[in-house]
Amino acid sequence: MTEALPLPKTASAARRRARRVLALTLAVGLGLPSALFGAVLVLSPLRHLAPPGLSPGSVFLFRALCLLLLAVVLVTFGAVISGMTVWWEMRVSSRMQSRVGYNRVGAAGFLQWVADAVKLILKEDLVPKDADAVLFRAAPYFVIVGFALTFVALPFGESLIAADLDVGIFYLLSVSALVVVGILVAGWSSNSKWSLFGGMRSAAQVISYEIPAGLAAMVPVLMAGTLSMQGIIRSQGAWPWQWILLTNPFALLAFLVFFVAQLAEGNRTPFDLPEAESELVAGYVSEYSAFRFAIFFLVEYGNLWVMSAVAVTLFLGGWQVPFAGPAAFEAARGVATLPGPLWWALEILSLLVFVAKTVLVMNLIIWVRWTLPRIRVDQMMSLCWKYLVPFAFAAFVGTLLWQILLARVPWVASLTGAVLTLGGAVTAYFFLRLTYRNIAAVGDRVDLSNW
Amino acid sequence: MERLILRRLSADGEEMILNFGPQHPSTHGVINFMVETDGEVIRKAIPEVGYLHRSIEKIGEKVGYPGFMPFTDRVDYVAAMFANEGYAIAVERLLKLEIPPRARWLRAISCELCRIASHLIAVGTMTMDIGAFTPMLHGVRERETVNDLIEALCGARLTYNYHRIGGVAFDLPEGWREKTLRFLDHFDRFLTEFDRLISFNEVYVKRLAGVAVIPAPLAIDYGLVGPNLRGSGVDFDLRRDLPYGAYPHFHFEVPVGKGFQGTTGDCFDRYYVRCLEMKESSKIVRQALDTLPEGEFMAKVPRRIKPEPGEALSRVESARGEMAYYVVSDGTENAWRVRARTGSFTAMGIVEAVSPGLMVADLVALIASLDVVAPEIDR
Amino acid sequence: MPETVRAYALAVGTTVRSFWHGLSITLSYLLRRPMTVQYPDRTALPVREMLPPRYRGFLEVDVSICTGCQACERACPIDCIAMVLEKDPQNPKQRLVTQFDIDEAKCMFCGLCVEPCPTGSIQHTQEFEASTRHLRNLTFRWSDPLKPWPVYKVPKDATYYPRALLGAILRPMLEARAWDAPPPEFLPPEPEGKPAPAAPAKAAPPLPAPASAAPPKPGP
Repeated sequence: MTEALPLPKTASAARRRARRVLALTLAVGLGLPSALFGAVLVLSPLRHLAPPGLSPGSVFLFRALCLLLLAVVLVTFGAVISGMTVWWEMRVSSRMQSRVGYNRVGAAGFLQWVADAVKLILKEDLVPKDADAVLFRAAPYFVIVGFALTFVALPFGESLIAADLDVGIFYLLSVSALVVVGILVAGWSSNSKWSLFGGMRSAAQVISYEIPAGLAAMVPVLMAGTLSMQGIIRSQGAWPWQWILLTNPFALLAFLVFFVAQLAEGNRTPFDLPEAESELVAGYVSEYSAFRFAIFFLVEYGNLWVMSAVAVTLFLGGWQVPFAGPAAFEAARGVATLPGPLWWALEILSLLVFVAKTVLVMNLIIWVRWTLPRIRVDQMMSLCWKYLVPFAFAAFVGTLLWQILLARVPWVASLTGAVLTLGGAVTAYFFLRLTYRNIAAVGDRVDLSNW
Repeated sequence: MERLILRRLSADGEEMILNFGPQHPSTHGVINFMVETDGEVIRKAIPEVGYLHRSIEKIGEKVGYPGFMPFTDRVDYVAAMFANEGYAIAVERLLKLEIPPRARWLRAISCELCRIASHLIAVGTMTMDIGAFTPMLHGVRERETVNDLIEALCGARLTYNYHRIGGVAFDLPEGWREKTLRFLDHFDRFLTEFDRLISFNEVYVKRLAGVAVIPAPLAIDYGLVGPNLRGSGVDFDLRRDLPYGAYPHFHFEVPVGKGFQGTTGDCFDRYYVRCLEMKESSKIVRQALDTLPEGEFMAKVPRRIKPEPGEALSRVESARGEMAYYVVSDGTENAWRVRARTGSFTAMGIVEAVSPGLMVADLVALIASLDVVAPEIDR
Repeated sequence: MPETVRAYALAVGTTVRSFWHGLSITLSYLLRRPMTVQYPDRTALPVREMLPPRYRGFLEVDVSICTGCQACERACPIDCIAMVLEKDPQNPKQRLVTQFDIDEAKCMFCGLCVEPCPTGSIQHTQEFEASTRHLRNLTFRWSDPLKPWPVYKVPKDATYYPRALLGAILRPMLEARAWDAPPPEFLPPEPEGKPAPAAPAKAAPPLPAPASAAPPKPGP
């Protein structure tokens, strides 16, 4: 077989090649999203500018151009994030399945998603003859619009947000519902029974699970007193006992409900009925190929990131950096036009905290996906309406009462925080002990080789 | 064929007629199901087989008795040892040949290892069809070790061609016994972990318990065999009730479905009977390795096998149930007729009887729990 | 569906317990070694050297000890071995093997040809990496019709047969061959009734296996 790149012949050549690959990987992995996000941050205030010496018409054109550029950059940023999420999921899931996963293209297989994207773009674009011409082509756009719009309001850092809307979480929940429109349109317009199955199931699923998701999302809103994403984060602290998750037992319940509901919204196992591979071949995307399929694929994994980011914002304290409260940020900002380097360092730190927490929640979602089987349509509906919705209501009402309690007795929040954190630590200890024992129970050893 | 089936489906415009297959991730091979559904609920599902027909039985009339042995591997390539053994026993009955005890023990060992491998595929693909992808890969990993053992024994990983007319082809290689015992130690513990991972997972149980119940009289009427029959509560196992080979010398339980998590005869019973059978197979291999007699592993067979005209029937308990070989000889070097009766073929019949009222997802669970492999149906 | 509060709570409880076990097992696999063998370039040894000795790979014939008994040809159920033996024109007592073709593309690696060989000349090696661009290149020609080799006469007091090391003959053959070597040219079938055309001056193109030169045998 001919090799695209000849294998290096000596060990030192192999090492040099490995170093170059690692450098390329780091450049792409760290550089690309940073560059894109930096462009978003720079362009966001730019569009309010009115450059002197331009007529009002030209100013309007300038602003429109800025907005267009911003939109393109944002969508690209979303796509890059979703590609990296694909890589992360594949690596983590493959080790859970006792195999190695992506490890050839780029260091640790990091550039595999680039290769996959290029391959998908180069494939033949097939539109079935009997498919609805307009709707079939339009469906991916609904989906990607619904996905990309969420990036506008995701709080990546203390000031690293494209638009700090007053109705942040409300906006996010409503905009991500565009995805279900896309799925339904895709299922219908493919003119194939399998796709129709997938689309119908998805419609039932996502619309049903909006309710517990919305209700559970109201719990942090009640506790923070604002719908704004940054506001919710600022109302929490950086340490686990200051997160909304652990200062209110009803918020713990709401987090579980929210987590399950978001799994269903994102079509993730155990709720991946719309695209249940073993049953419906590929469900609503059966007839899609090439770039249109790439869009669905991208949005599914990008939604993973968005889901995790929203959960982190609402319940896990967002970008709050330990030991660096708002006073530290204020102090570091200084009074000059451009903030000092300490401020930038703190911002990057907050970004890293946010990314780390999001990756943690993402790992949880991936972990659940590759452990649990899929539930059936009727069981999914009964789970939603008989279990999640009552629990969500209970959490909501409980939080109302809790807030009244807090108004009278403020130290209950800290007490609950301490107690729940302790409980969480104990549970985690027993869980990790069981995990460790599983290995010896089968006769294996802890062995981190074979990457 | 399609028109025949479409006439049986009474489509009056309200229901959808769906083709479930032949290219489908979960029909365990190329089988087509014409499914008439009303939304998610199935009215009728009729299987359409024949996509994998390779005229194996016709080939049996052309290549001579010893030459047919590799073709029996291909009848059911997931559990090939049983096909080998069934055919060998049938021809040995035609020749009125006694095979040495060591050969019988070696046959039992290889067959039980193959049963473990086949059941790993069965339960693995079942979990994959239900949506949990990880247990499948863990099962396949264990199967790799079994394949390695059998590869050391006979040289191939899937189409073994290990048994011969008159015995087996090779004796145990050096160190094989220790390797196998080490594997079985690991495997017994793996089965416990597998159960904890998926068998008692609430979502999995809810998907399978009470789904597609096949009551025992219906199972007997439709001729189900093997774990399908035992899952419905019928206590029948050829290894114990019509013993052959070395099985009279081993002590093992026969797991029978009794509604482990739901009703007797549902999908979970059939699934769990297979899990328990793997444990029993592991016990049998241990006993066989302990009591392996010395001696020849191949009887004296004439160079050209030309049995006297007659017929012989052999029934072995394959991983998928009873595999029966009916060989008719006309005195020449080639057989007059070779017929392989396989368990998956009759399992196709019950799909139509049990499918009304199931949902599409349940149909997948039913097909997976019947452990159908398409090559066995079509041969 | 659970009808009572107790059943409801039990359902939630069993769910949590089963998830607890399942999730801990999957997490534990993150710490174990994956069983992937990273073929072909990240294995400790080439895979063919890690295979067991009984592995049924490509067939190899040690022509120096082949007795020309054609037992392998008769044993093969798919007729992928074609042998032609002729008497040596110089020495009528000696037989020559003028054609010994094994069509590895048809071979199902069953091992039935290896068993009846009296000297162990034909064996399965551990080679499996022999893919080629053209299917006809997979017909291994162990005898050249222009340079046939004599059959081996087993000495009366032989205690062993001097076979070459397993794979020592096949490995150089496989390595010397380019992946996209052109396939052998086949002569068109001879028309009925006409005398056979004279063979061209250069090396005669290989005869199609196994039909024309071999004695007519009903194909599979």
